Amino acid sequence: MKNRKKSLAEFFADRWALFFLVAEIVFFAIVSRGFLTPRGIQIIFFFGTSVFLLSVGETFVIITGGIDLSVGFVMGFASIVAAKLIVVFTESGMAPAAAILVGMVLTFIISLLPGLINGSLVAFLKVPPFIATFSMIGISHGVSELLIEGVPAKNLPHLANVIGNGHLFYYARGKGMSIFSRPELERGEHVLELLPNIVIITFILIAVFSFILKRTRYGQHTYAIGGNVDAALRSGINVKRHLVTVYMVSSFFAGAAGVIYMLQYVTGKADAGAALLLDGIAAVVIGGASLYGGKGTIWRTILGALIIATLETGLRIRGVPTFDKYILVGVILIGAVLVDQIIPERVEEE
Amino acid sequence: MSKSKQEPVVLSEYEARKTAVVLARNWAALFLLFLIVVFSFSGGAGFFSATNLQNVLHLSTTFLILAAAQTFVIISGGIDLSIGFVMGLSSVSAAKIMQILHAGDNPVGMTILIGMFVGLVVAVPPGLVSGILIAKYKVPPFIATLGMWGITNGITLHICEGFPVGFLPQLVTKIGNGFLFFILPGKESWMLIRPDGLSGEEIRSLTRIIPSSTIFVVVLLLILWHILHNTKFGQHNYAIGGNEDAALRSGIHVRRHLIIVYTLSSFLAGIAGVFNVFQTGIGNFTPFTAMYELYAVAAVVIGGASLSGGSGRIFGSVIGVMLIATLENGLSISGVAPFYRFIAVGLILILAVTIDQLFPKLISRRAAA
Repeated sequence: MKNRKKSLAEFFADRWALFFLVAEIVFFAIVSRGFLTPRGIQIIFFFGTSVFLLSVGETFVIITGGIDLSVGFVMGFASIVAAKLIVVFTESGMAPAAAILVGMVLTFIISLLPGLINGSLVAFLKVPPFIATFSMIGISHGVSELLIEGVPAKNLPHLANVIGNGHLFYYARGKGMSIFSRPELERGEHVLELLPNIVIITFILIAVFSFILKRTRYGQHTYAIGGNVDAALRSGINVKRHLVTVYMVSSFFAGAAGVIYMLQYVTGKADAGAALLLDGIAAVVIGGASLYGGKGTIWRTILGALIIATLETGLRIRGVPTFDKYILVGVILIGAVLVDQIIPERVEEE
Repeated sequence: MSKSKQEPVVLSEYEARKTAVVLARNWAALFLLFLIVVFSFSGGAGFFSATNLQNVLHLSTTFLILAAAQTFVIISGGIDLSIGFVMGLSSVSAAKIMQILHAGDNPVGMTILIGMFVGLVVAVPPGLVSGILIAKYKVPPFIATLGMWGITNGITLHICEGFPVGFLPQLVTKIGNGFLFFILPGKESWMLIRPDGLSGEEIRSLTRIIPSSTIFVVVLLLILWHILHNTKFGQHNYAIGGNEDAALRSGIHVRRHLIIVYTLSSFLAGIAGVFNVFQTGIGNFTPFTAMYELYAVAAVVIGGASLSGGSGRIFGSVIGVMLIATLENGLSISGVAPFYRFIAVGLILILAVTIDQLFPKLISRRAAA
């Protein structure tokens, strides 16, 4: 009997995030009209892309026992770099598609730079991650403001908007399925939009890095360093180099979030991700990662990010002021850690 | 290490190392002096004048209070990310109450006092809750206070609905922006509050000496310094930050102490918030880009504290704040685009920690010698 009780408590403690998400969806499905429709669900993912990307990048850093505060501002920096580059390329006569592609690839490469600096400071100069990445907030914020000189980036080609706000499939009755392009419609005709492009890009990136974390030696080393640095060092892992690459992964994801922000809103903004400091870290912690390192998976982080994204969309559909979201995310974040802290203790006591 | 043990250390070398240690320990103060000299050349009288220097002090009041709050928490081995938004919460709550009372034609003195009181009281629960979470339920300080970051910010925006709270009694800004002496050269002088009915000409030639805010913050900092250095509470703070287990074993009530530390930190943020109302005459919510709490951490770290706890000084944090404030003021007076200051603060912070990394090596070598 005792054993069963124990396993039941453990079962719930282990999966509380999943149950919470289900409860949340049921709640909003009842109280918010239009929440549980293909469109409503796609909106959750569409507006959740930045949280997904930032938190997945943050997961790598948190697993190693570090923290990256700079992701929000690196995201803003990347959105500006991408917007600037694409505008420059189009103005120099490149085709919009080529300009966007080249601009995106270059931004991805440039967004590795903040991570390289963060990682080097943390690994080689032994600067605490908190301080190193906070300095990077200042630096990336300053550089992005200098780049745009106070005016939001504009004159992006229309194609950016088409990609950022478009869907992979469109289905209209009588016209069949079309890919990428919205079919020509008469007024009043209904079209079913499926799979927003940016959500697809987001999840391809996440899938790749989820594989890396779970199935490759690189991922195993990441856990090893977070679990016990000394042991990792002794077992021959190049800890310093590894830490540098981990911070680069995090800032790569921040860069991806910036590029997607640019596609979505067709502009670049220095403080695009300023409010995401809470969301990005909260998603990882709600997913059960420990700030002391060694714990956390991408799948659980996605669960945490989904809880936040669902909350945001659900509240928006209900017309509740968005600042209520911050209160609730704060409460859930603290609740998440409390569950992790209290339930195992109770189990032991029993 | 073994190598340096074998080599006999010559006295002059020892002296040189000692100088290096002193330099490393006080680099922030020296750097501050250096900045003042540089800006005095590049900014001229615009920078190095009584008016501007008093201005720098006056404008760093809230920052000084926040950094002092953060100093207590960081010495105890924690971090408080919520103080920026607690400050906003207090500022907005105090202003809201004053606005309502003022609109109801209540006596000005009572309006201001009740507003202040409410502003200070609302600052207590966030710290108390984070303290209990951290001390009793072992929630990491980073998470507990980050949660409180969201909660206090949401509540603040709820109260002010996303707009600053205005329409407060005129007297509020007069108190907040008062000076110890206002002197109209050759004619008259006043204390603390600028008199009404001066012509524009007279206001321009008015000499202002020592902002009231500076007197206030200096008194507050002296009290905090006293608590940290001369009381059992302060000693326990260092002990807990240095080694929590040892502190527990030596009979310190660690849980209660930590709850008090976070409550104190939050309460100080409340003082900063109420002061903010006096300074600006409106209740300001804290924008996301402000990052007051992170700048406070930066100032404390520049002032020589370690994020792993057990070390730090109020005076060091004050130097850290003044370094950042002087840098921002000096750069803007010298005509540098405002965005460079973000970069400059980031770079100085990295410099600070790098010097701290080199510093223990200097000490340990000296010990080996």
